[in-house]
Amino acid sequence: MNKLYIFLKYFFIVVWTVFVVAPFLWALTTSFKDFQSVNGGVTYIPWVDFEPNLEGWKVLIKSPAKGGVDIIEPYFNSLFVTCTASLISIILGTLSAYALSRYTFKAGFVKNNDITFFFISQRIMPPIVLSIPFFLFLSSINLLDSLTGLIVVYIVLLMPIAVWIMVDFFNKVPREIDETALIDGCNPYQAFLKVVLPNSIPGLIVAGMFCIIFGWIDFFFAFILTFTEVQLLPVKIVALNSSVTPWWSLSASALVSVAPLIIVAFIVERYLSKGNLSGAIK
Amino acid sequence: MAKIDLSNISHSYNPNDPNPVYALNPFSMTWENGNRYAILGPSGCGKTTMLNIVSGLVRPSAGRILFDDKDVTDLKTEDRNIAQVFQFPVIYNTMTVYENLAFPLKCRDFSKSKTDERVNSVAETLNLKSFLNSPARKLTADQKQLISLGRGLVREDVAAVLMDEPLTVIDPDLKFRLRRNLKEINEQYKTTLVYVTHDQNEAMTFADNIIVMSEGEVVQTGSPKELFERPNTTFVGYFIGSPAMNLFESEASSENSVKINNTLIKTHTNLSNLKTKNIKLGIRSEFIKIAQNQNENLVDVNVEKVEDLGNYKLITAKMGDFIIKSKVNRETEIPSQNVKLHIPAEKCCVYEDNKLI
Repeated sequence: MNKLYIFLKYFFIVVWTVFVVAPFLWALTTSFKDFQSVNGGVTYIPWVDFEPNLEGWKVLIKSPAKGGVDIIEPYFNSLFVTCTASLISIILGTLSAYALSRYTFKAGFVKNNDITFFFISQRIMPPIVLSIPFFLFLSSINLLDSLTGLIVVYIVLLMPIAVWIMVDFFNKVPREIDETALIDGCNPYQAFLKVVLPNSIPGLIVAGMFCIIFGWIDFFFAFILTFTEVQLLPVKIVALNSSVTPWWSLSASALVSVAPLIIVAFIVERYLSKGNLSGAIK
Repeated sequence: MAKIDLSNISHSYNPNDPNPVYALNPFSMTWENGNRYAILGPSGCGKTTMLNIVSGLVRPSAGRILFDDKDVTDLKTEDRNIAQVFQFPVIYNTMTVYENLAFPLKCRDFSKSKTDERVNSVAETLNLKSFLNSPARKLTADQKQLISLGRGLVREDVAAVLMDEPLTVIDPDLKFRLRRNLKEINEQYKTTLVYVTHDQNEAMTFADNIIVMSEGEVVQTGSPKELFERPNTTFVGYFIGSPAMNLFESEASSENSVKINNTLIKTHTNLSNLKTKNIKLGIRSEFIKIAQNQNENLVDVNVEKVEDLGNYKLITAKMGDFIIKSKVNRETEIPSQNVKLHIPAEKCCVYEDNKLI
């Protein structure tokens, strides 16, 4: 029974690993292929099945004039917009979540839970519903096709995630922690900054991770709200496509675009394995 | 350190409701500087609300709080210079044990040397010295509670240390030692200690003064002896003591006698001005003994059960419809039939409408 259990456990781990890793391996090998190697039948192993080359990767940094797409600027645009919007969302979201968790608000029939739901409801709506209002809003303040405009929109999209995660997290941090800090001599702001916030780092990391992921992978709003001045990575990658699908450069760009998320995942995983996130995951 | 006056304090968590429910009914009380107080009562009787009012975490619906005659009712918690220890360990997870203990001093800008001295002294008292540099979150639950307690004791100048059932999670051995330590700290530094508990033994062994509460009401304040011998109400008689006080429905028979099951029991209480017929006689089982040479206040009983509880025997007997309990020495021979118990008149308490006459 025990042996069967161990066998099944490892069997499913292997199946799952193949399921997760295979697309990356496929993208990695494809990124070093050329037209011939992709369309000339199934090939797997470089130098044996096909001759690897860097064409797919070079296209990503070549200027459009030389037949490339130059993703460097969109890449840094994406990094800047995602990090800035995530940071502001986390700061605002954390403050809102703390207030919603610790203080009672009442305006007519609207109470704390309704306000929290209002934040979450922003994510329940299909993005398409928001596209026209966002377009008109950014247009009215002259922020269409600009990084600032995108940051504003992303804050609106990411803050509900931060509020949602942090309200739940703060609700699990006992109120006595705040009260003890007050009794120990902190004012409410010091109690929040010196005691509650350091105790909430696991929650902040989880919220930050989600904000970065959702900000980084957004294509829809980046596509609708930018034209020529500013471009983000997902839009640029889609622009690679043509009548003959360039699988090699698409694969290379997919790997490049997923790299920051892999780095984030590794950092969080290291933190998780140290047990520092146990409170957030519990 | 300060004298704390609670003047006409009452509190309701729904004061704007047309029919507010009071967690604390109006009461006044003074906590003298340097004394040890225990607030004793069943769960939900308002003990924690009273502590939170003193520490400023809750603002009372009515009444004033004075520290050394200075009104602090509207003063914020952080400005009251109070220490409070909660029932379950509250520690700052991200800090070491030393940083936890030093935190209240750091918040008040104590010098490094003074902080060191105080933290080391408290850590020594609470057996935490070897853990000072360990992350607080890695300690066991009772060690964490010691940290909470330590943070409460680390300031010498606090007006009072309020403790809300602080030893619940601590193992019995350590509990006993800590209670002794707290008493020593109180005697040495003259810190006013207020200890909330629902355990009468804890209250009796710790405090000079016990405040008994029931359903938001302060029912009696007094020394352990007063509460034991002269409970103000039948509730206190029932709540304090193990077993609870014997209480018998009775009727007044003469100026100082009551009748229970046609047996006349003399008391030292004047019963000439009774207003109701709701009379109860209360007597502690410790004072009821097997009759020897006495010729009055004797009751005939049928012994139902004798329990040997180590240092004493507990007799449970039937007197008509009533159950009577008596604590006797372990060596006492208990006859199986025709047992007469003696109820000493001077130890009898008579209650009219559940209040002591």
